[in-house]
Amino acid sequence: MSLLQRVKNFVRSKSIHVAYVDVGSCNGCDIEVLACLSPRYDIEQYGIYVHNNPREADILLVIGAFTPGWEEKLRSVWEKIPDPKAAIAIGNCPISGCVFNRPHSLIDPPVAKHIPISAQVPGCPPRPTEILSAVLAVAPVVFKDYEVKKR
Amino acid sequence: MKRTVDVSIPVGPVHPCWKEPARVKCETKGEYVLSAEVELGYMKKGIERIMRGRPWQEVMFLAERVCGICSVIHNMVFIEALEAISSIPVPDRAALLRVVVNELDRMQSHILANFSYCYTIEHETLGMYLLDVREKVMDELERITGARVTCAYIVPGGVRFDLRAEDALHLRANLAAIEEEITRYMGMFENGPLIALRSREIGILTREAAQEACAVGPTARASGMPETDRRLRHPTYQKLGFTPVSREEGDNYARIMMRFQEVLQSIALIRMCLDSLPEGPIRGGGIPGAGEIAYSGEAPRGELSYFIKTDAAGRVLDIAIQTPSIMNIEACCHYMLKGVASLADVPSTFVSSDPCIACTER
Amino acid sequence: MSGYLYEKDLSSMKYAILTSTRHDRMVREIADDLGIPQLRLRRYIMDQFDMLLMENLPARYEQGKRLTAEAPAAERDLKTHLYSRAVPLIQEEQMECIFSRVKEMMENGMPEKEAVSAGRRLIREAILA
Repeated sequence: MSLLQRVKNFVRSKSIHVAYVDVGSCNGCDIEVLACLSPRYDIEQYGIYVHNNPREADILLVIGAFTPGWEEKLRSVWEKIPDPKAAIAIGNCPISGCVFNRPHSLIDPPVAKHIPISAQVPGCPPRPTEILSAVLAVAPVVFKDYEVKKR
Repeated sequence: MKRTVDVSIPVGPVHPCWKEPARVKCETKGEYVLSAEVELGYMKKGIERIMRGRPWQEVMFLAERVCGICSVIHNMVFIEALEAISSIPVPDRAALLRVVVNELDRMQSHILANFSYCYTIEHETLGMYLLDVREKVMDELERITGARVTCAYIVPGGVRFDLRAEDALHLRANLAAIEEEITRYMGMFENGPLIALRSREIGILTREAAQEACAVGPTARASGMPETDRRLRHPTYQKLGFTPVSREEGDNYARIMMRFQEVLQSIALIRMCLDSLPEGPIRGGGIPGAGEIAYSGEAPRGELSYFIKTDAAGRVLDIAIQTPSIMNIEACCHYMLKGVASLADVPSTFVSSDPCIACTER
Repeated sequence: MSGYLYEKDLSSMKYAILTSTRHDRMVREIADDLGIPQLRLRRYIMDQFDMLLMENLPARYEQGKRLTAEAPAAERDLKTHLYSRAVPLIQEEQMECIFSRVKEMMENGMPEKEAVSAGRRLIREAILA
């Protein structure tokens, strides 16, 4: 492994930018993601920065069952994120549709049909600590030696 | 009214300041916003369509998931509507416990809304302080109900869990701490000169406009309409001698201060409940039956109405939910945003009305 | 290929809003009142209103009905407030124009009932035009 790669690995493990996108949830997971920002959980002490801008994000948190309004848009949000990137499904909705996956609903779960999902955090809603540990667990796996793996 | 315009600047659906997706298309002249049009459809799950024909035991959990932020009140209004249909009595202790949990929920929702506003006007310090206080409220919610969000605490004829003596003690101690901190942050917000520059006289909603858009909740009360508070018509709140607060300015500043005041009011209400909490059962009996009703309650964002029709087995035949955010976001986008002097004020004005798109679209 | 980047056909989402219980009831009532086919009215609402206004229509309609009941006789029968402010089917200036024509007719000796139904016809024409 080259020195440059080692530097990149180190830097990437200490600075993870997160964007979240709500594709039709009940809001419960949104507020748990927001709670991660609070001084109690203090997401920034792990080098994770939440600022909800896809163009500078590394990790996309996808919340909610997939609604028709997002048909082409989620894909375009995903394409705007620069490589290396990963998407994490937060809550039951993006995994299975949760309570909304019934006859006559308008949703189209799972989200994995529309963009590649690297990890799933089940729960309705999951606790902030679970979201935090999922981000911390996924990031090193996806970002480590990215250039080497790409070759 | 729809018009074709030359310069229409879209804000959203993915926006750094917004928790949820919505798209506001602002028709502008320079930076001056002439009018705004909103495009929804990013959160429409069709909850009312799923609910139809299902037993109340299932609809109860679906109702909670109309909105995750104010889940307790959705639960409460749905269950109280069922109770009103089939005249199920509620023990006194349970009625007061409902108020306790509902007010805790209102506190966390208001604090979250104020956090969002502070975050949007880039006052992150105050925002983080508020988020820290909110965790204390969430702790209390979890201690009483067993879950942070979507706790399904209220069931027909009572509540699920009793408030233990040690929990009550903990709640009182935490309330004192929360009150002290909220008073301090309220002072910071009230006297911050830069906050005033970003908030005062911006996004004004006049009383007439609020009436026309049927604005409710803190948004309406900040424009001088205290009579919109549904808690005035709730028997338990009437017993507690509840009187709403209101302000006259109708700008962003007034709406945020309104929420701070209501948090303090909620603390007082919870204390009153704890003082007058009688001993006794927390859950009576009763089976939901057939009937039809329109029932309203005061959610953190305003008046929430359920129109329900059930059959003899307790199945929900027809249901329509009117959430407060519908009216408030409409008031915001079609009245407040008109005449906002700069595009930079569009997100902050939008957030000041405490928009909840998940409620709006269901 | 050129096209708007984000603009998308919203009619299916708008239709989903309009088919909820209360919206449906409201559309039926207005259509009966003005004598417009329901489908035409739905299409008109979907073309003219943005989605948020559509979501809020039942609340505004109820409020408008309450306020209209308190208005003076001719305005109450013509429902000027209801159809121009609460549910803005036609613009206010247009409504004022129609209302002044109705008043004129009444001053010229036409019975109130006939004048109001003539005014309603004008509203219908304005919507169907």
